[in-house]
Amino acid sequence: MAAIKSGALVTLLELQPSSEFFKEGTSLRVTGKLQEYSVETAIAVIADQGVTLKIDTQHLRELGFRIGSIFQFIGELHIQPDNEAVLQARTGRNVDGIDLNLYYQSLQQLRQFQVEHMKSATT
Amino acid sequence: MAAQAQPPSLLNIHLKLLGFSLRSITPFPNCPSVFNLNGKQISRVEVLGVVTSRDHKPGRFLRFTLDDGTDSITCVLWLNHLTSSFFATRQPATLRVISDLSKSFADDLRLGKVARVRGRVSIFRGDLQVTVSDVVIETDPNAETLHRLDCISLARRCYFR
Repeated sequence: MAAIKSGALVTLLELQPSSEFFKEGTSLRVTGKLQEYSVETAIAVIADQGVTLKIDTQHLRELGFRIGSIFQFIGELHIQPDNEAVLQARTGRNVDGIDLNLYYQSLQQLRQFQVEHMKSATT
Repeated sequence: MAAQAQPPSLLNIHLKLLGFSLRSITPFPNCPSVFNLNGKQISRVEVLGVVTSRDHKPGRFLRFTLDDGTDSITCVLWLNHLTSSFFATRQPATLRVISDLSKSFADDLRLGKVARVRGRVSIFRGDLQVTVSDVVIETDPNAETLHRLDCISLARRCYFR
């Protein structure tokens, strides 16, 4: 429908080097609690379930970064030479108040539904 | 024997659809405003996602994309109600209200906002798009999760049965 790629919904726990999502240029949507933020470099670090991810927020200067708040970012993953991943964010928003358990369950439901959908399309 | 009840038509209902389900619909031959979803005729949808692009031509249109995590959905909001001959038969007072409302929607649709959009499905240059009739900016951080679960539930119980 559109040339702009959709950000696949993933948890930080799923962003392991062996994961199908851990690829250069992959469009993702990630969610986590803001742990660090540098005004100089515009690099934020979010954490979820014991895993952290660096976010390059240079295009999101209007967003208010408050440590401890939960944020959601959509962007492209870039793998550094040391195999560290940084998400180059296109959009970001504060999602304080999100029910993360329900969010994770909805992702499971969605993936199951997409598999059903693909199976029915091929039969 | 009693006649079997026909399932209700979905043609004039705004179906809550995820982007990847919307992508699977196909136009009916010789009827560009009606689409086929699993053998059912549909024409209107309700979609919800993050605004990830916007192309604003003041006085003409706002074209934007919504990302719901399954696809990017192209939407077009017309802003030419007071100048286009397409609307010439409508009452001027009504057109002014629609025009003001559309301008207000266009101002609200900012990058990164979560928008719930209702509209008609159409095809433009071979691609599906939603011609917007209504916009609500969602501020509840759980709105997308609940919409996702609604879409899945409705698809299983109704749209794809």
